[in-house]
Amino acid sequence: MQIENVSRRRFLKSTAVVGGGVVIGFSMVGCSSPGPLPIELAEGGFVPNAFLQLLPDNTLRFYTPRDEMGQGVTTGLSTLIGEEFDFDPLDMEIRFAGVHEDYNNPGMGVQATGGSNATHAHYEQLRQVGANARALILAAAEQDLAIAQDQMSTDNGEIRVGSERYPYGQFVRTAATLNPPSEAPLKHQSAFRYIGRESTRVDALAKSNGTAVYGIDIDVPGMHHAVVKRSPVAGAELQSFDAEPIKAMAGVTDVIEIGSGVAVVAERYWQAKMAADALDVNWTSVPLSKVNSETIRLDYEVALTSDEALVAEDEGDVDAQWDSAEHVLEADYWTPFLSHAPMEPMNAVVRIQGDEAEVWSGTQGPVAAQGLVARFSGIDPERVKVHQTYLGGAFGRRGTLTHIIEATQVAVATGKPIHLLWSREDDLKHGLYRPASLVRLKAGVSAAGKIIAWDAARAGGNISEDTIKNMMPALFPGLGDGLIDWTVGLAQGALKGWVTDPSSIEGLFEDYDQAHTRVKHATINHGIPLTFWRSVGHSYTAFAKESMIDELALALNQDPVAFRLDNTKNNPRLQNVIRVAGDALQGLQPKEGRYLGFAAHHSFLTDVAQIAEVSVQGGQIQVHKVLCVVDCGIAVNPDIVRAQMEGAIMFGLTAALHGEHRIQDGEVMESNFDNYPILRMKEAPSVDVVIIPSTDKPTGVGEPGLPPIAPAVANAVYRATGQRLRSLPLRLA
Amino acid sequence: MIEFRLNGEVVSTVEDPNTPLLWVIRDTFKLKGSKFGCGAGLCGACTMHVDGVAIRTCVLPVAAVADKNVTTIEGLADAGDLHPLQKAWVAHSVPQCGYCQSGQIMSAAALLENNPSPSAAEVESALSGNICRCGCYPRIKQAVLAASDAMPQFQNALSTRQEV
Repeated sequence: MQIENVSRRRFLKSTAVVGGGVVIGFSMVGCSSPGPLPIELAEGGFVPNAFLQLLPDNTLRFYTPRDEMGQGVTTGLSTLIGEEFDFDPLDMEIRFAGVHEDYNNPGMGVQATGGSNATHAHYEQLRQVGANARALILAAAEQDLAIAQDQMSTDNGEIRVGSERYPYGQFVRTAATLNPPSEAPLKHQSAFRYIGRESTRVDALAKSNGTAVYGIDIDVPGMHHAVVKRSPVAGAELQSFDAEPIKAMAGVTDVIEIGSGVAVVAERYWQAKMAADALDVNWTSVPLSKVNSETIRLDYEVALTSDEALVAEDEGDVDAQWDSAEHVLEADYWTPFLSHAPMEPMNAVVRIQGDEAEVWSGTQGPVAAQGLVARFSGIDPERVKVHQTYLGGAFGRRGTLTHIIEATQVAVATGKPIHLLWSREDDLKHGLYRPASLVRLKAGVSAAGKIIAWDAARAGGNISEDTIKNMMPALFPGLGDGLIDWTVGLAQGALKGWVTDPSSIEGLFEDYDQAHTRVKHATINHGIPLTFWRSVGHSYTAFAKESMIDELALALNQDPVAFRLDNTKNNPRLQNVIRVAGDALQGLQPKEGRYLGFAAHHSFLTDVAQIAEVSVQGGQIQVHKVLCVVDCGIAVNPDIVRAQMEGAIMFGLTAALHGEHRIQDGEVMESNFDNYPILRMKEAPSVDVVIIPSTDKPTGVGEPGLPPIAPAVANAVYRATGQRLRSLPLRLA
Repeated sequence: MIEFRLNGEVVSTVEDPNTPLLWVIRDTFKLKGSKFGCGAGLCGACTMHVDGVAIRTCVLPVAAVADKNVTTIEGLADAGDLHPLQKAWVAHSVPQCGYCQSGQIMSAAALLENNPSPSAAEVESALSGNICRCGCYPRIKQAVLAASDAMPQFQNALSTRQEV
């Protein structure tokens, strides 16, 4: 069966699911009129816009609209606004914004962080806001000092007139009486002083002396601690439990049923944890209870072999090319379910007082936090105050906020302020996962070394179903449950009919020049909860694509860099990072017993090429060095670009060498870092990052460093051992 | 009642003696710099010093530190000053999400206390019990090696101050 995918592009336009991001374009989000800014006004403070508060003593507070999960976005965004306001970001006080539509992600239309888009999406907006605010201060200074503006310049928070210096804060009273300009001219790039500067992160000190506050650190008077006992199999329902034996345990105050299971509340976390561990709960059986890792993979294979997959992309005539090709290769690539495993387990603090509520949690969407507390407490969203904190890692995981639902339900039921914390076991066994994938590739090359045809198919789960299910109740707290269920069902039905969400196949076919392309997709959801995981579809499509490219080059007896250069003429920026990395490769002389592997990939508007230097001893793969060439447009903070490439490589190496969830009778088997290992320092390679100089608008950096590393290592392992490994994690025979 | 020294001050607690030290420090003494990551001694986010030794406190009953000296990230350096490791952490922009960094720094501080000029391999060995999911390992290693150069001066200053 083949259904022509006429609707895919229309679907993209109408709802715009951004790879790695959050469902966007819900125009209904914007229908309420904007309320007052959630900014606490300091004595004499001046708020020219939603992002800045300037105090008379020249303190500048920057309200960061995007969430800081380690990717350095507070440094990047404060640099954009500081560049045009002319104020060093390292001298600003950084605050996390509350909920307001002025803080919406310009690339998403909702207040959410993801998809590596923050710097790109805010690049013009925050510079313009900074320039307008600077113009306002200059106008106020002109009035107060009775000096013409053309006699003035600015320098890091001060107005300069000849040798005189006047701090901006001196002019806040007058500035507050003036109308702010809306289109003050922006600087030319050549005048940038903060953008592109080598500087430390704005949050480095707080994160080195223990003072950075994460959601788990929130402590409010009278707070009680909640631990939830959840079903071992996702979707199973509570059948029975006996609360009596644990009610007498020290500190336990409440044992209550909530949507996701049984919540045990105590005065101390440890008391709640001990009692929850001692609680016996029975659960219903669901279809997922019969599912195992082996059956999942088999289902994917059957779907691809029996041609159940629907056509998602079709250009040219793939089937007509095989006969004329010099080589035709076909292979399957397997990638398992994975956890995000951020170091800070999920948590939330919810306090309800009368008709007002407050929530503290580090999330990738404060508006969703507000919506969920409102929905599950019955309190008006405008009376739900959201306190954003630092995020102890996220990688996509903190876009789904069931822990906030749980904390709200417990706070409502007990009347107590609730600190709810997941254990690591909860995180790994009851979380949301990067979907497993089976990718089947068939490719044909000509004798001249050109890729002629590219036939790709992917079977696996589709994250949109879960995304819509989780986001709709959060974004539309006012809609009734029935209406939400109906809308979710409608959207999910539409997704089934419309082949796939683009993030399921992103990166599988776009990078090379073949004239004939077909991409098919078989959506098979077994009920394992799924969500965005750092680099989303690219996390598995790059492994398949770049492994196949290596195999094609070898079949042609061609150099893998030259082969890629020959086949990326339509993607000059990708071709350029391949060229730069390839030139560097010429100069590398690995020690005896070490082998080099190459891979390149375009994702989140950014191009990356990587070379991995690998040795194999006693069946153990060791990655010694990685060279990473990246073109991400203007590097707003080059050191953060380097840090994100380093971090994404380490994250990708955990997936390449260790990461695997196994499913048995519907239950995720891995429970902690002993059986779900994370890369450790002794396994970590040294990383050299080369940033291509650019005058283009900045593009993503949080995710694009990840996709090439697994295939680069696999390609090196082939050279070291002759074994072509087509499954992750990489395991030698 | 269990009595111990916390960052130099004598403190006591009536919490259940089996409660892991981490939760007593966080929930009773409200010092939130030490983090919960795994609850099984596998990730090192909860690392503190007990009589100068780096210990995983998420699995250490508070009873085990009776009459001992416990140091957390908050007590690593004198008030208003930074430990050479913390200075190096800032200079190298080590942290990303930052959540594991207290534990990383406490493990590194215990290493430098006993071995002020470790080799790269010794740093790797001492810190491989600490997981960083953001993958800051290359910078952590560089920062520890950089800080080791400043250790003699720091220790001199500390001992001079203690004599005064």
